[in-house]
Amino acid sequence: MNTLALRLGPFTATLETPFGALVDGLRQLYPRAVFADHASYADFHVALMPGEGARRFVGRQARFLLDGESLFKPLPQSQALPMFEWGLNYAIAGQAHQYLVVHAAAIERNGRVVILPGAPGAGKSTLAAALTRSGWRLLSDELALIRPGDGKVVPLARPINLKNQSIGIMRGFAPDAVFSAEIADTVKGTVALMRAPEDSMARVSEAAPVGWIVFPRWQKGTMAQLTPWSKAAGVMELAHNAMNYSLHGADGFRLLADIMDRSGCYRFTYDRLDDAIAAFAALASTH
Amino acid sequence: MPGLPTQDGSATKVRIAPDVLWRAWDDEIVCYSNTTGDTHHFADLAAWLFRLLSTEAANEPEIEATALQRIELPTTVDGPAAIRRTLDMFQRLSLLEAA
Repeated sequence: MNTLALRLGPFTATLETPFGALVDGLRQLYPRAVFADHASYADFHVALMPGEGARRFVGRQARFLLDGESLFKPLPQSQALPMFEWGLNYAIAGQAHQYLVVHAAAIERNGRVVILPGAPGAGKSTLAAALTRSGWRLLSDELALIRPGDGKVVPLARPINLKNQSIGIMRGFAPDAVFSAEIADTVKGTVALMRAPEDSMARVSEAAPVGWIVFPRWQKGTMAQLTPWSKAAGVMELAHNAMNYSLHGADGFRLLADIMDRSGCYRFTYDRLDDAIAAFAALASTH
Repeated sequence: MPGLPTQDGSATKVRIAPDVLWRAWDDEIVCYSNTTGDTHHFADLAAWLFRLLSTEAANEPEIEATALQRIELPTTVDGPAAIRRTLDMFQRLSLLEAA
C-alpha cells in the first residue's frame, strides 16, 4: 500500500492506494506538491482502492473513497489518475466553503487574474493551457477559489485536464510540457493531464485580485475577438457557475458584485491559439 | 396586485423590500432576495421599475404617471399592462413590500 500527502494550494490531501502507476503519475504531475508519505492533518482523506465484492471480477476496477466513503461508481484501474483528479474536484467543491468555488479556469498576469468560466466544450482548459505557456500564471484549471475577505483568487496550480483533440493541439503547442499518458474511453472521451508550469507551482501561495471575467467559446473559423459584455449578465453567469453560491447567500452576491464592479467583463470567441494569446496579451496591457 | 393588502379600495403603495440587495450596471439590475435566496437579472422596463421602487414607494397609478413622464416605451407596448405584469412578477419573486 502507498500512502502519500499532497499540498494543493491551501489544502492538504492524503492518498492511500495500492496502485503504483497512480502514485508515479502524481509524482510526475505534482513534483512540488507530493511532500510526504503522511500528513498530521489533511483536509481530504482520499483512497483509491481495487473493486470489491462481485466487482472484483468485472475487469480491474478502482474505487474512489473520500473519508472512507465510496462516492462514485468504480472505474477501470487505467482511469485511476483522472478519477483522482475528478474526485478531488468533487471534494473541494463540496467541502471548501470558506471560498466561493467557481467552475472556471483562472490565470494571472501583471498581478491581475482572468476568470474563465465555461461550459464543457467551450475550450477554457485548452485556452488556459496555452496561455500558461505564454506568460500567464495558472491558478486553476477547473475550480477558481475566491476568498470572501478580499475577493482574491487563491491558487491551486493543479494539472490541466485536456480532452480529445485538445491533447494533440497542446502537445503540438507546448512540446516541452509534461503530459500524463493518454487515457482512453473515459466518460469524457480520451483525457490527458498537463503539468502546471514550474512558476505557477512555485507561486501557489500567491493569491491575486480579479481583473477580468472572460467567457470563452471556441468556434472554428472565427477571429479571436474580445467583446465587452453586460456586467449584470456576467454576474448571473458567475453565480450559475459558482458551485456553493447559495450556501454563501447574501455574502456570495456581494462578493460577485464587488468583483464585477472592479473587473472588465467580456465574451471571447477564438479558433487559433496564437490569435487568442495575442488578444489576451493586449488585454493584460490594459488597466 | 395579488397578495398585497389594499387600503380603502385604493391601490397600495409598494417598494422594493429592504432585504433585497441589488447592484446596477448601465441600465441593468441584478438583485438578491434574502427571503428566497434567489438572484434575478432585470433590464429595460423591469430595471427602470425596480430602480424607481427602490428609491420611493408608489402605487400603480403613480407608477404609470411617472413612467409616462420619464420613459419611452415602444408604441407596440401597452404600458399600463406591462407595468402591471412587471409588478406581478416582482411580487411573485418576493421583492416587494407594502409601504
